Amino acid sequence: MSRTGTGYEPASARLPDWISEASALLAKDIRAELRTKTAVSAVGVFSFASLLLVALATEALKEVQTVSILRLPDTVTLTALEAQLRPAWDSPSKMGLLWVLLCFAAFAGLSHSFVHEEETGTVTALRLSMSAGAVYAGKLVFNLIVTLAVAIAVTPVYMLITGMRLGSPFVFISVMFSGCLGLAGTATIVAALAAKARGTGALFGAIGLPLLVVFLILLINAANALYTVDAPLLRLTKDVGGLLSFGVLIIALSALTFPFVWEE
Amino acid sequence: MAASSVSVALEGISHRFGERSVFADISLTVCAGQVGIVVGANGSGKSTLLKIVAGLLRPESGKVAFTLEAKPVAPIMRRRSIGYVSPDLRLYHELTGVENLEFFGQLRGLHLSHDGLRDTLDKVGLLGRGRELVGNYSSGMRQRLKYAYALLGSPPILLLDEPTANLDTEGVVMVERVIAEQRMRTGGGLAIIATNEPREEAWGDMAVRLNGSK
Repeated sequence: MSRTGTGYEPASARLPDWISEASALLAKDIRAELRTKTAVSAVGVFSFASLLLVALATEALKEVQTVSILRLPDTVTLTALEAQLRPAWDSPSKMGLLWVLLCFAAFAGLSHSFVHEEETGTVTALRLSMSAGAVYAGKLVFNLIVTLAVAIAVTPVYMLITGMRLGSPFVFISVMFSGCLGLAGTATIVAALAAKARGTGALFGAIGLPLLVVFLILLINAANALYTVDAPLLRLTKDVGGLLSFGVLIIALSALTFPFVWEE
Repeated sequence: MAASSVSVALEGISHRFGERSVFADISLTVCAGQVGIVVGANGSGKSTLLKIVAGLLRPESGKVAFTLEAKPVAPIMRRRSIGYVSPDLRLYHELTGVENLEFFGQLRGLHLSHDGLRDTLDKVGLLGRGRELVGNYSSGMRQRLKYAYALLGSPPILLLDEPTANLDTEGVVMVERVIAEQRMRTGGGLAIIATNEPREEAWGDMAVRLNGSK
């Protein structure tokens, strides 16, 4: 039963569950983000700069290889020539660099979720109005949406620039989604810790580094499995599943510890 | 419903920040229809005491007991029983006044109708200004919006820290009216006010004075 107007029915009123609270917070964050574009601009500038850097570096690599290919004998085929024009690094390395880019782009924007609430003082009103679990869920889903949006916007351009292969579409999507989940989960709890410590972006990065190292190692394992020709199902399950498990584990641990971070 | 259906009892509350004791062994009981006043010099811990009552801070020792309809109030219900106005409280500048109220109304499980929102804004003197961004409000308008936020759902307990800060004469009258209505609230209502203003001290039925412990 919901209360209307100013009537207050503490004994009989059903408490709104944490899902509706989290949904309200998510809707508020999306509305505020669409209006201020704080996270989008931070992520956008970093992504654009990173992609530009990768594009220029890749172009330089192509040019160097073009000169050397021109010195090759005439027996080189067109296909082999085109292959040679690609950068020398392989797809798992490219995937690793893509995630380094996504990590820093996401961290540049995701820290706003809690730090902004703490810095502007709105955290007091939230603390008075919401349970810790609902706050964590709302912020996590918002960060996951931002991370997925960044990945969807950046990955195709990056693949075009670097020639990174798709591999198996299902495994590729699994790797990308698991990566986004792990990244959003890590960024959410680290942002909460940094905000509590009245931290800045620098602190955000410092706290997040140990978690990111583990995350990137698991990600490279998953990328290697993705690009291994005829990789056994067991390896795919182990490596891609390992990445997904990291995301699930970090979210589960964060959900358990967040109330202690949230309470003064 | 009995008029004495709500009460707040502070029992031996002490608090310290690091090595500095802010206050010690504070006790106060405020029942339905009453207004309690917390007075003291700057830095004596008035705001801290109100934060402890609101559940925003844990006391070093002692406890805050809420009673609603002769039953202790569970922590999850406690925050929905409180309306809080304080200089520390900020609402979202990137949202309009109405959007802020709708958001916090949702969190409190309220479905605010158009008329309900209009009445709330009218009550605090913001009728016609609800669609403006809070970032464009004056400090007095923001203080009025805090009252609209605090009064959402007509909570039985009002905690007011420096209640007339930034308000003009009409705003002070609005606060007096809010406190008077809180005393008469159906089902019982009470208020605890932290202030240094002699005029506001006169609104109370009882007072606790903080001396600023060392």
